Amino acid sequence: MKVALFSPVPYLGDAPAIWPVPAEAYSAEVAMASTQLALEQFQLADELGFDWVTVAEHHYAPLSLTPNPAVLAGALTQRVRRARIALLGPTLPILNPVRVAEEVAMLDTLSGGRVIAGLLRGTSNEYVTYDVNPAESRERFEEALQLILRAWTEPQPFGWLGRYYEYRSVSIWPRPVQRPHPPVYISASSPEGGEFAARHRLGVGFAFTTVPLAAEAVRHYRERAAEAGWEPAEDQVLYRVAAHLAESDEQALQDLEARGSRPSYSRSNRAIDDASAGAGYYGRDAARQRARLQRHGLRERIGLGQLLAGSPDTVLAQARAIHEALRPGVLEVVFEAVGREKTLRAVELFGTRVLPCLREL
Amino acid sequence: MAEVTFAERLVAAEGVRVRYLEAGVGDPLVVLHGAGGLRLGPAHHLLAARRRVIAIEIPGFGASVADHGAASLRELALTVATAIERLDLGRFDLMGHSFGGKLALWLAVERPESLRALVLVAPAAIRPEGRPPLPEDPAELHRLLHAHPERQPAAPPPDPEVAARQRELVARLIGPPREPELESRLAALTLPVLVLFGTEDRVVPPEMGRLYPALVPGSHLVFVFDAGHLPDAERPEAFAALVDDFLERHRGFLVRRRSGLIHP
Repeated sequence: MKVALFSPVPYLGDAPAIWPVPAEAYSAEVAMASTQLALEQFQLADELGFDWVTVAEHHYAPLSLTPNPAVLAGALTQRVRRARIALLGPTLPILNPVRVAEEVAMLDTLSGGRVIAGLLRGTSNEYVTYDVNPAESRERFEEALQLILRAWTEPQPFGWLGRYYEYRSVSIWPRPVQRPHPPVYISASSPEGGEFAARHRLGVGFAFTTVPLAAEAVRHYRERAAEAGWEPAEDQVLYRVAAHLAESDEQALQDLEARGSRPSYSRSNRAIDDASAGAGYYGRDAARQRARLQRHGLRERIGLGQLLAGSPDTVLAQARAIHEALRPGVLEVVFEAVGREKTLRAVELFGTRVLPCLREL
Repeated sequence: MAEVTFAERLVAAEGVRVRYLEAGVGDPLVVLHGAGGLRLGPAHHLLAARRRVIAIEIPGFGASVADHGAASLRELALTVATAIERLDLGRFDLMGHSFGGKLALWLAVERPESLRALVLVAPAAIRPEGRPPLPEDPAELHRLLHAHPERQPAAPPPDPEVAARQRELVARLIGPPREPELESRLAALTLPVLVLFGTEDRVVPPEMGRLYPALVPGSHLVFVFDAGHLPDAERPEAFAALVDDFLERHRGFLVRRRSGLIHP
């Protein structure tokens, strides 16, 4: 199993639990320190042998200071020397897909062909950010993704007569280093996502979910891929889990309890999430998709495979259980923000004591 | 949609009477159909709202006119060119679909001076090797032709005798997947050429599209998203708007004129 380190680059100061978050409480110093800590984490992960480092896109909130993951990934190409750099990823339906194709190709060129392209729909609230109707989210996503694949691979300039996008001439420079294009992952928590990935032979990633729900979604994806006449490689299933490690289980749990919890993006503004759901953003199993975003207590999160917490031995056992249940080719770990020293120590403990064993799986 | 009625007419050329359907006023656009025979859909009606559309039934197709025995697609193109000359259109725009796309290319290389611009829709001039012939079963063919067959009205059941004759004609004249004699002459074309492929085309794969810009100097490739082998039928409004704009502005059509102003 490969292991990735993800950081949303959280803002480490106080801020209200709403969305969008007003900038009144914003401190540039805190934001700069938060960004530096994330860069340190990524660099440490590279040194410790993590296979990937991962960045994401989120807007208007201190949960993540990376509204454009390509900008951070550009910085990482110069600091992360060995690991692959994953964007998980640009929120396609609210962006210009040709621009996304260009940015990923640039990053692949800057990094010498190390980029992984997760192409996502984003959470329901993102649609407010760039004024896009969430009801069109899936159709925009599916069209944008196919346009991006063409932009990476077509040898001649071409026009695109789409339903949501129209370009009279597309011919991007630079081109991706990886041929035919960087590995692509999409979210397959919803059945529609798994079906699209199976149809287009894409990898799938799971975040903000639980191991039982992801296991069911992986089964759906693999069945549909078989119907489409192919078998996804192990690496094409990614599962994201939060983690905190300390010398002992007690210490790790104590660190997490002291930190408290924050609501997820889409739960921070129920009016927006309800309106998005009403517009049809969540697809045909909406109730389940919304339920999986529910916040749980620490013990429950561990039980559901949302959190690895404890000593290195305990975390290894928890990670093995996830591997057993889900067989992901890539386990993506996001370290809980529990203060600079403790976070970096957790990364180090994971990298030296857990990672070598997981790579054997 | 504007009310457009196509009138059926005949024109004599080289001893055969060629049937055609015509509607609209303005710059003439001659349309050559695919292997399935003469077919008009909503896109043709939209185009006829702004120009004079003349949809020719290629000699040998349909019920009324017998195959006049062309020995090659080039020869057939010359017969069609003669029929068009008799219509006294002056220089005209030409749009060919699939089989009719290859025929249109032959016409273009033989009579370049008579054309203003050329539109090739899923042209069959370059095809992958080793493809089976199109299925004879109408339902199976309907599924193969469309990205969304369920959204398309089924074609009226074909006269089996006509269908068999058309299949024989296409098999005899379509030529090899790559035809060096035709391809070597494409480089000399100077007219504006638009090449359209549906992204879900399972008859002539859209990947064939990339070969046209390499072979035809003035050509521009456009993918019609979420359409199969008949992009005009599956995306009529988008198709007609694009073709209209191209025929009006030629290569200048790359520059957008649509306003982005949302709250004047």
